[in-house]
Amino acid sequence: MTLLKANKITMQFGGLTAVSDFDLEIKNGEIIALIGPNGAGKTTAFNMITGVYKPTKGSIYLNDSDITGFRPDQITKKGIARTFQNIRLFKDLSVLDNVLIANHLNIKSSILEAALKLPRYKREERKMYEKSMELLKKVGLADLRDEKSSSLPYGKQRRLEIARALATEPKLLLLDEPAAGMNPKETEDLTLFIKQIRDEFDLTIFMIEHHMQVVMGISDRIYVFDYGVTIAQGTPYEIQNNQKVIEAYLGVSEDA
Amino acid sequence: MSLDILLQHLANGISQGSLYALIAIGYTMVYGILRLINFAHGEIFMMATYFAFFGIATFGMPWYVVFILAILLTGLLGMSAERVAYRPLRDAPKISILISAIGVSYLIQNLAIVLFSGRPKAFPQIEFFTRMFTVGNVRIQALTIVIPIVTAVLLAVLIYLINHTKNGIAMRAVAKDHETAKLMGIDVNKTIALTFGIGSMLAAVGGIMWGLKFPNILPTMGIMPGLKCFIAAVLGGIGSISGAVIGGFILGLGEILLVAFFQNLTGYRDAFAFVLLILILLFKPTGIMGEKISEKV
Amino acid sequence: MKNKKNIYTLISIALVILFLLLANSFFDSYQIRILNLCAIYVVLGLSMNLINGFTGLFSLGHAGFMAVGAYTTAILTMPIAAKEANYFMTPLVSPLNNMVWPFLPALIMGGLLSAVAAFIIGAPALRLKGDYLAIATLGFGEIIRILITNAQSLTNGALGLKSIPNTTNIWWSFGIAAATTVIMILLINSSYGRAFKAIREDEIAAENMGINLFKHKMLAFVIGAFFAGIGGGLLGNLLGTVDPNMFKFTLTFNILFVIVLGGMGSITGTIISAFIVTISMEVLRFLDAPINLGFITIPGITGMRMVVYSLLLIIVIIYFRQGLMGTREFSWDSVIALIKKAPFKKGGAK
Repeated sequence: MTLLKANKITMQFGGLTAVSDFDLEIKNGEIIALIGPNGAGKTTAFNMITGVYKPTKGSIYLNDSDITGFRPDQITKKGIARTFQNIRLFKDLSVLDNVLIANHLNIKSSILEAALKLPRYKREERKMYEKSMELLKKVGLADLRDEKSSSLPYGKQRRLEIARALATEPKLLLLDEPAAGMNPKETEDLTLFIKQIRDEFDLTIFMIEHHMQVVMGISDRIYVFDYGVTIAQGTPYEIQNNQKVIEAYLGVSEDA
Repeated sequence: MSLDILLQHLANGISQGSLYALIAIGYTMVYGILRLINFAHGEIFMMATYFAFFGIATFGMPWYVVFILAILLTGLLGMSAERVAYRPLRDAPKISILISAIGVSYLIQNLAIVLFSGRPKAFPQIEFFTRMFTVGNVRIQALTIVIPIVTAVLLAVLIYLINHTKNGIAMRAVAKDHETAKLMGIDVNKTIALTFGIGSMLAAVGGIMWGLKFPNILPTMGIMPGLKCFIAAVLGGIGSISGAVIGGFILGLGEILLVAFFQNLTGYRDAFAFVLLILILLFKPTGIMGEKISEKV
Repeated sequence: MKNKKNIYTLISIALVILFLLLANSFFDSYQIRILNLCAIYVVLGLSMNLINGFTGLFSLGHAGFMAVGAYTTAILTMPIAAKEANYFMTPLVSPLNNMVWPFLPALIMGGLLSAVAAFIIGAPALRLKGDYLAIATLGFGEIIRILITNAQSLTNGALGLKSIPNTTNIWWSFGIAAATTVIMILLINSSYGRAFKAIREDEIAAENMGINLFKHKMLAFVIGAFFAGIGGGLLGNLLGTVDPNMFKFTLTFNILFVIVLGGMGSITGTIISAFIVTISMEVLRFLDAPINLGFITIPGITGMRMVVYSLLLIIVIIYFRQGLMGTREFSWDSVIALIKKAPFKKGGAK
């Protein structure tokens, strides 16, 4: 079943077309990768899907309902969560608070109930706390719950950012370069981790990644961008043997 | 309203608009290069008026000498404010620099109260600027014509400076990207200081002409023009010099005509600018000439 | 351990009440007035800190909100005879001219109207960010002042209001300061408070975690304005007079100084700094007044006090950006740790 569908989404900034006519279809449970050289418009595509930018043209459907032009918070409520290329944690806040905040979107109690600690709010707060602690245990950060998030080592910050995204209970998780800056060992762990959360949380994953080891290892299908244009899509095997992709990455030789 | 009176109002509006434009340019230049509202700009403008006042009234120097000295001193003041209160905060959160700017604004204003007393002083009347002309049936003060001419000349010089001199190109480079400019061998601190200097000198010209036009000078006289000219800069599109000029004219003409046509709104004259600000921010936040600045995600 | 801390807290509260009792009977009226001002600045500082420190919105409209609160409370609590005496140029509109409310409902009304004003202002302004928001809220604050100056039949215009009942006393001001503090602590530590802090830390990340930015900014802004209105009401009925000039930007500047010095994002810091700033403002009054040394009188210099203040603000922001407390808060644990570390120096935390 199709979870996310984008119809010819296009993003223009002034005269510059960052992404043009991007067609995307993601089925439930898939792991899809988006690759391409730097500046190819990959993050812009993410920003359109998550509502940070409103596409200049085209439309986006989640479970057949149109979400084009929704605000990021509305889209998150609909079930799409994301991480960022340059980690964007709430730096001054604790590890636990970072995850708790991602639970706020489903709160039923009003601000008055919350400030007066009325019973309904107390119940909700307890539930949020338990859920967050469980998540932190699953990603192995439970011991660090009271640490300031910015004091964590880089790899753990990445994990925390994923945990925070998971706390919003997404159906689709968008990961923007999750393996950036990681060593081979960490990259391997991350690959396993992504598979593990996909199965455990019943997720569909769409990621931007440069590490071919990760991309080829876990993706069901791959989309390739170059200058905002989708130059190829297919299984890892197909992509590895695609002439256009090779040219985009390695350049065209003069005598070819 | 007869045609003559309308022309009279238009002339007043244009000269008021030119004054706003001169001060607004300083805001827009500093914002362009530092992304900072220089809250102290209105106070720098005020100080120029006092410098000129003391030069003429206390030291009895000829007005043209005084004007040049006052403009130079004001430029120096603007550069010192930047050196002392903004440069140490270059890498600090924006809110800190803004607070520092508010602090500088208050410091200068209260220093002026301490040094010059809070009582108003009468700016000297200079024959050259105050004599009256009669054009047809319209009586106009020489100043009303001098102000737009001075503004136009300074604007032309400024645009030449920015587009055709080395320092001007450095300014534009720093406004685009501090880091890259530094790598290209541009002295970023010097360029920023220069921007403050030029902006302050333009404000000084505005301040001196303001004193000639409204001779009642006070240490708090910079607050309202300061706020309004920032609004003019936003209106025109902050960061754009031609935008600041357009914004200044819209504001100046708008205010004068508002009071001319709706006399019962006179008490709300100062609110006009703020209402305009809210409207522009709602409907075209980038202003008339501005380009969109979006945050990188 | 928890019991022990509760006992400490109770003892501290008892000590504060005892101090207030003693102050009320032994302090002269000037000193009591300063104490009242301290408590009012606690309310004002906390309300501004909620908006600027905890939610990270740079709002400079506080004086405007205070004006709404102060005028509402003053008009509602003034006896009919005083109203007639005040509004001799343009009579006060009916039914306000025949209406006298008790203090508490009048204060709350002031807070509510101020919150309504914040809602109207926030609707357009909170779409703006950073310095644009600062200048827009500053502009709105000025518009409120201009409206008050021009709405003669409601506010008596530029003349202001005199002989407002001096209802504010130590119990009112400290009672409300305490209530505000408790509400702020509860609010900041709730899920909504965390959402506010998330917006301060990273707006884009917060929005992508499902936080409706506009709604939450508006909540913080309106609640902050509510307490600013109450603070304004307390101030008006302490001083006995209000006029549009009281609510110029200087007032916002003072509160800004309180929260910058205390630490943007610390309740404890705001409270400590409200006392320091208010008391030192009074102590430093000598800078403005002539000093009589018996044999020689040094003439006072008006404005010197504000010179010192603006210098201090610049120094704090350049060299001690975190203020006294940063975003830290008081806790008994930290006091105990402090006492243990330095057994002969008693910890100065309050």
